[in-house]
Amino acid sequence: MIFPEGAAARTDATDVAGRVYDVVIVGAGISGAIIADRLSREGRSVLVLEAAPADDLTIAGYEGYLNRFYGTAMKDNQAPYPVLPPVPMPRSTDARPLTPGGGPNTGGYLVQNGPHSTDTTYTRVLGGTTMHWEAKILRMLPEDFELADRYGHGLKWPLGYDELEPLYREAEREIGVSADVEDQRYLGLHYPPDYVFPMRGLPASFLDRTVAEGVDGTQVRVSDDEEIEIRVRPFPQGRNGIPNPAYDAGRGFVPVGAVSTHQVEEGGRCQGNNNCVPICPVQAKYHAGKTLARTLHRDVDLLAQAVAYRVHTDDETGRVTRIEYRRYPDPNSTAYETGFAQGRAYVLATNAIENARLMLASGLQDRADLIGRNLMDHAYLLTWARLPEIAGTMRGTNCTSGITDLRGGRFRKGRASFSVDIHNDGWGWATGAPVTDLVRIVEENQHGFELRRSLVDQVSTQLLLAHMIEVLPDRDNRVTVDPRYRDELGNMRPVISFKVPDYTMRGAAFARELSRDLFGKLHAQDFTSYDPAEYGYVEFGGEGYRILGGNHLAGTHVMGTSPGVSVVDDHQRSWEHENLYLVGGGSMPTIGTANTTLTSTALCLRTAEHLIQELRRQDRPLTLATIGAR
Amino acid sequence: MTSQTLAGHRLPTEIDTIAELEAYLNAALRLEHATIPPYLTALYSLHPGANSDARHLIRVVAVEEMLHLTLVANVMNAAGLRVDLTADDFVPRYPAHLPSGEIDFLVSVQPFSPAAVTTFLNIERPVKAPSESRRLLRRPDLGAGTVLAASPVDPSRCFYSIGEFYEEINRGLRHLHDRYRAEGRELFTGDVARQVTGEYFYSGGGEIVAVHDLDTAIEALTLIIEQGEGLGGGIYDGEGELSHYYRFQQLQLGSYYQRGDVPGRPSGPALDVDFDAVHPVAIDVALTDYPDGSPVREAAQAFNRTYADFLAHLTAAYDGEPQKLLEAVPWMFRLRDDIERLIRNPFPGRPGVHASPVFTRASEEWS
Repeated sequence: MIFPEGAAARTDATDVAGRVYDVVIVGAGISGAIIADRLSREGRSVLVLEAAPADDLTIAGYEGYLNRFYGTAMKDNQAPYPVLPPVPMPRSTDARPLTPGGGPNTGGYLVQNGPHSTDTTYTRVLGGTTMHWEAKILRMLPEDFELADRYGHGLKWPLGYDELEPLYREAEREIGVSADVEDQRYLGLHYPPDYVFPMRGLPASFLDRTVAEGVDGTQVRVSDDEEIEIRVRPFPQGRNGIPNPAYDAGRGFVPVGAVSTHQVEEGGRCQGNNNCVPICPVQAKYHAGKTLARTLHRDVDLLAQAVAYRVHTDDETGRVTRIEYRRYPDPNSTAYETGFAQGRAYVLATNAIENARLMLASGLQDRADLIGRNLMDHAYLLTWARLPEIAGTMRGTNCTSGITDLRGGRFRKGRASFSVDIHNDGWGWATGAPVTDLVRIVEENQHGFELRRSLVDQVSTQLLLAHMIEVLPDRDNRVTVDPRYRDELGNMRPVISFKVPDYTMRGAAFARELSRDLFGKLHAQDFTSYDPAEYGYVEFGGEGYRILGGNHLAGTHVMGTSPGVSVVDDHQRSWEHENLYLVGGGSMPTIGTANTTLTSTALCLRTAEHLIQELRRQDRPLTLATIGAR
Repeated sequence: MTSQTLAGHRLPTEIDTIAELEAYLNAALRLEHATIPPYLTALYSLHPGANSDARHLIRVVAVEEMLHLTLVANVMNAAGLRVDLTADDFVPRYPAHLPSGEIDFLVSVQPFSPAAVTTFLNIERPVKAPSESRRLLRRPDLGAGTVLAASPVDPSRCFYSIGEFYEEINRGLRHLHDRYRAEGRELFTGDVARQVTGEYFYSGGGEIVAVHDLDTAIEALTLIIEQGEGLGGGIYDGEGELSHYYRFQQLQLGSYYQRGDVPGRPSGPALDVDFDAVHPVAIDVALTDYPDGSPVREAAQAFNRTYADFLAHLTAAYDGEPQKLLEAVPWMFRLRDDIERLIRNPFPGRPGVHASPVFTRASEEWS
């Protein structure tokens, strides 16, 4: 799929000012791309406002990211993307520990107000955070939608698994998910009888198999009356593998390959490059550009370098009248011009933090005072150990398998569930391996062949388990804005207040103990240690832990059944503003232990369908009263 | 040699026995493989970060040559023939001749350059013999070097073009198939489990064809012809893909073809080529060109061994273990890494020239 020639330059502010679109979408990430795609398929006109430049519509632009990544010493998840003054991004390297009473950390784009400091990031580039996601793509469990009723926790969902199931399948088609359905039937996850994923599951890594040999069949006592048997199970992946010929009743599946390459065969397959995060060198990993490229061949305008500044509403009706944006012609300068975009309906599709930030910065609030509240992100607890024998670490996709049996169960009455990722990229996340290993080995005065040999030997025995722990909605975990903190375009920056809930910490403590047991079974030497001087350090029950952010942002405009308990309805339509949709993870009332992308994509597919019906309804000529006529 | 009558003309059909078919298909394997070393060398000679368009373009063609190799192997397996890429004469000695009306060019392992692009165009040029009588030409004695697509049953003759060479195989397949049928036998009796299917070869430009009868055999070989040269005359093949000849021509003309274009006048986006952003690798190197004991010689030997192992691995994949083809991806990385170890280093004693991979079979060099 190729972006049409000149697509990035096709629309300018003058064109936008002279047009009322069917729908104006803020943000060209996966949510915006999906909605633009579905609406434009119906012949609807769409404007997508994107904060970042759109030069990267070309393959040269994508390769520019790659080259920046290759050339950067600090390979964090924003490493490929340019630092531009008008569109600052949160970066994990900006995170700092906070001292009580010491005031917020304002050093990064996110203002960290505490009490806990997070290393939450999202990518403000075309394609959004799918440009740096890991593409591990799980469905939420049926019980995740019923947390409130079953276990008495969290906010209520207005929808259940069965309503989302067909949409999950549609999202899996859009993203081109690789998985074997027989691996993914557990804890109540169900599919139609003949369902297969678009592509076959990726092969388990040697490391996965090593771990499986040691831990499969282990009985874990999760509470007094509950024991769960665990095993290593592959994760569904949003990346190209082998298309399943049985997909779509035997019609098969055609994967989308590298976007913007001319005449290249489609479907570049995962080569196991091991840098899925931050960027796949061959675009085997799904990113929103794959969906977006298709839309720009239709009646979809893309206005890049246009940062939404304010949502304007009509005081009487509450309807959104226009989006005010600040457009910077030069990415290296913060000089801007103000413009306005108008549509019949508006979709805020940035992410949970930016959606809330924009609403609050626009002075908009809901009657239940929920905008920005209930900020959620999975809490990651890392544990790491050295295996007794070389296990092929650093080979393959970042994360191919894990332990998912503890995602559900009655124990959730008292403690957070979690899923365990086996990381094929060694201790990198925890310790900065292999760079830190290299430095250590050099300091030991090894060189030449010896140095290379020790580095390989040491790195290829590294095992890192990442426990992705559920976080419940909490009113006090929130995004706010403060006129004192603005970015260089004058936009108010997000101020984050976050505390890891005790429910989550009980899960973390359990996860820490479990990893000790598992390392024991693998005869692996535990090297886990948490430095109190580092950000993310949390004391709980007399022990110290380090909780990192998963960047699965959710909860700041939760959906529900009434305006008294929620910001949007089950179509992600704002209760207060009839023609405004707040979409993405922010609408999710709970997140369970699934990375949020698949569920928010499914929700966006639902929103798109609703919008199509809504626009059709509005277009239908009014039937005049005919009583007495004729 | 026998003849058959078609539309009133006496047509030469050189393939009258399964042994002659085997000889032809083995020649086809050598032919399909022969372009891979030149394409890979040109591809990896490009400076990293430069020549993005050329990189993608050459890479895809190289991958499609792999597809062609696999399609020939499928035809062989379907006809119960064994595939062997490890034979001593499998890798040509470069520079090698390819067939054409005029014997006007040699194929070299060389850096990306205007000359290389010209060679690629020569390899892939769409030519159909002007008449039946000119399909097979007398081949002058060209001296040393491998000649590809010469008639494997009559080495004094070669085909007008690669397209005509495959046309000969298609005719032979039809002829043998009909004769076998007339005798109450089947030509395609190979075990279907030996076929490389889309499961094992995927995303290689075009769909793999699993071969189990005459129709699928012709389909497989037709895909090769169309992808390579656009023998039908159009610039796009049956799957809507631009044929190799026109892909390479874009490098000369500096812009992309798009739908509706006529040959020679691509009207798509500009394509930037920087012939200076290339490692000046040595042309057609033999192992013995590298000084004894030099690090580049060791690197060249290491690559040579990796390549020989790779061919042995492919042979296993084509000889009943198609799942082994899945491992070709990491193998290709190993080949790339080994080549990069050479091309970024100077060639001892040749100022301004870089080391270059040697594809000739190691055993030949060592003997």
